Amino acid sequence: MHFPRVVDQLRKIAGRDAVLDRPEDLMLYEYDAGVRKCTPAAVVFPQNTQHVSAILRLASAAGFPVVARGAGTGLSGGAIAPKGGVVLAFARMNRILEVDAGNMRAVVQPGVVNQQLSDCVAHLGLYFAPDPSSQKACTIGGNVAENSGGPHTLAYGVTVNHVSGLTVVMPAGEVVRFGGKAAESDGFDLTGFFVGSEGTLGVVTEITVRLLRRPERIATLLAIFETVDDGARTVSAITAAGITPAALEMLDGWTLRAVEAACQAGYPLDAGAVLLIELEGLTEQVEEQAEAVRKVALEQKAREVRRAKDEIERGLLWKGRKNAFAALGRLAPSYYSQDGVVPRTKIPAALQFIGLVGKKYGLRIGNIFHAGDGNLHPLILFDPRNPAQLELVQAAGAEILEWCVSAGGSITGEHGIGLEKRDLMPLLFTDDDLDVMLSLHNAFNAAGTLNPGKLFPTARMCRETTGPSANPVLSSEGM
Amino acid sequence: MKAAGLSLDVRRELCVICGEEQVRERDGGPIVVLPASAEEVAAVLRLANECRLRLSPAGSDTAINPSGKQPDVVLNTTRLTEVEHYDHADLTVGIGAGTTVARLQALVGAEHLLFAADPALPDRCTVGGLLATASHGPLRHGYGGVRDYCIGIRFVTGGARRAKGGGRVVKNVAGYDLMKLLIGSYGTLAVITSASFKLFPAPRETKTFLTEFSGAAEALRFRDQLMRSPLSPMCLELVSPGARKLMRPEMAGDAWVIGVRAAGSDAVQARYRKELGSAVTRELEGDKERIMWRAIEDFPAACGQMSKDERRKEGARNVCIQISVPPSDVLRIINLLNTPDDRKNVSVGFIGRVGVGHVLAVIQISSEEREPLRLVDNLRREFKDNLSVKLDSASKPWPIPPANLTAMRAVKQALDPGNVLCGREIF
Repeated sequence: MHFPRVVDQLRKIAGRDAVLDRPEDLMLYEYDAGVRKCTPAAVVFPQNTQHVSAILRLASAAGFPVVARGAGTGLSGGAIAPKGGVVLAFARMNRILEVDAGNMRAVVQPGVVNQQLSDCVAHLGLYFAPDPSSQKACTIGGNVAENSGGPHTLAYGVTVNHVSGLTVVMPAGEVVRFGGKAAESDGFDLTGFFVGSEGTLGVVTEITVRLLRRPERIATLLAIFETVDDGARTVSAITAAGITPAALEMLDGWTLRAVEAACQAGYPLDAGAVLLIELEGLTEQVEEQAEAVRKVALEQKAREVRRAKDEIERGLLWKGRKNAFAALGRLAPSYYSQDGVVPRTKIPAALQFIGLVGKKYGLRIGNIFHAGDGNLHPLILFDPRNPAQLELVQAAGAEILEWCVSAGGSITGEHGIGLEKRDLMPLLFTDDDLDVMLSLHNAFNAAGTLNPGKLFPTARMCRETTGPSANPVLSSEGM
Repeated sequence: MKAAGLSLDVRRELCVICGEEQVRERDGGPIVVLPASAEEVAAVLRLANECRLRLSPAGSDTAINPSGKQPDVVLNTTRLTEVEHYDHADLTVGIGAGTTVARLQALVGAEHLLFAADPALPDRCTVGGLLATASHGPLRHGYGGVRDYCIGIRFVTGGARRAKGGGRVVKNVAGYDLMKLLIGSYGTLAVITSASFKLFPAPRETKTFLTEFSGAAEALRFRDQLMRSPLSPMCLELVSPGARKLMRPEMAGDAWVIGVRAAGSDAVQARYRKELGSAVTRELEGDKERIMWRAIEDFPAACGQMSKDERRKEGARNVCIQISVPPSDVLRIINLLNTPDDRKNVSVGFIGRVGVGHVLAVIQISSEEREPLRLVDNLRREFKDNLSVKLDSASKPWPIPPANLTAMRAVKQALDPGNVLCGREIF
């Protein structure tokens, strides 16, 4: 089918005002929060599951690729369409369909913004636990696709731990239902398997999420250190003391100064590093743990341990953390955020290695990360107008991830593989591992219509699936 | 070579792979083979595919019902016990699938850490069996299920491919989440050879508060209050009068009990006491507390044994049904099972992690072969998507075909194209 006819068909399905195909409109959908770009052929805004089903039937018949997109806040290029691809944008499927407070569940459409759900159920004393830094913008559909995390996943787990059911449209348009409101479901745990599959197996159109009860007491501590090493050692020491904080975040001195300049969060400008530690639960428990954490931090040479005295101070400390990536925009036109994970005892060595990589490539690298679960976020500053620098930045990022894997870790803790890290997958997985994953991919999406070119190493996908790139019509469109 | 009446060639090949002393035959039963490594598991599966053998993975048979269809070969995993990594400061461990849960608990317990699974018969239940059946005990309430803290898995697919998912760090979203796919798949897709887990700090002090009620409705109203309170107990378990009698004679009584197990200092326990109020009739700690929770953990095994014994009797038999529903439906489930319309079935006892909507019921039903399935079918019609049911037979894990059978078949075809692994009836 010639592509203008595809656009006509999309308009018939979703409505005349629900399809974009002008270059100036499409430019807005050519990027996410990572560093890759590619302009889609069209963007369509479905309003219900039936629209999604009809669009996927059309895609399957006409052979064009489809990429689901929430708010485009992803950091791994997961929502970027290949040339000739159609973006399925969920901005109009943004309704909270049901709140079942008694069972601590909500049923939402994929375009619901993460923070909006927590705001909507706050009056019931409930909230949705996954809290990526982008939670004011990112959608729950995107969280499901990438299995997103956030600071509080240390205690509560990532998105998959908070999803009990999905409605999924399969590549050929069939609508299926996995799980429901019950904690367990019959048969294979396809809900769990589809979460984090990066839109490569099916398109999720309804999500049943688990809600948590807001804790009675929250204590937010800021432990201030002269050196990064002292801060990093404190992370393991807190765990060794038998305490699992709700969140345990670290900012190195250079990053916190940039954040402080932008946000005035109350971070000390002369510190080598700070740990932002949050404890939640029963008042008696939190008070005991706060005192124990203070002791541990002081034993590990903390200069001072402050405690937010009210919700305003707490909000400020978190504002600094959550806006840190944006704050670095004051120092450079762009940044490249990595997402490696190491066992938490390897954090001091990992930070030393990142420092060496920065020196080797002549790049500024800041560190602001989820220290409690060893999830590093080195932020490499660069100027995207300089293509040579982008290459250096990506090489530096890859070197850091290789080190993480050699230390027993992973190349991604919460951002996903997407386009960005697909060729690093062989660092973690053998040919057999990837073959098994690919066989599962092909069990659902053999034609490669859904989100092609993501997650699997390029060479493997070219060799082992026959995707839309082989379609002559789409090739002429520039794929 | 043909499966039925295994040829000498197959036996010889198995001996070559695992060693003669690791290939055992029972009279009239399947050959049992005990591989010592993932390589040997893969070789056994290759042979099974070549010879079209029907193979069933097994740990210590704590969940297998011998009435299920008999495989040609039982692949016993109990020699796969290597500790792959134990990083106590990182709170992670990776261990062979044949290790018993009790051994793993003891290993990490020495460092004051907790492996948060507490299935029935931990001295026999293996890590692989725990994962394959997604079993849980009372700790499910406070720590989640094994799905929530298994961070990596190594396995050999039915197609004899050695592979892994996840890794050994607590946060990792690289690649498909194969842990989720294999947990609860009852050995129908792959043989799990080892797994990595997130550990938790072991609570230094615990106390159990027992509360008593005249009926299930009253007990569940108390559960609702508790769930709305700031308390977050390790365990929250409902035990019916019938279940109390079945568990231990000294625990017998007429009241429905909710057991609340709390971790924390004296100040924390005092707060629990205050919040739970006059409903508390007893407090347990130390050995008495341990014995009570162990009886609850082992309840499914006790029921399983009872089912076998009862089968010998005429006219009626007991079956165990594990049900997961939204918590607000627990009372409806109990009432339905307590007062069946045709009076053919009589409930014997209930326990359950009712805070998360779990109920384990022992039902006395007619000895007619299809009666348990009829019961399950009725429940499915009543609760639709919001229900998961397991009968006490692990060799037939899904008593009636699950709603997403087409997708399951696609997965089965991808990982076990020769349909070598058990569970082939539903595929």
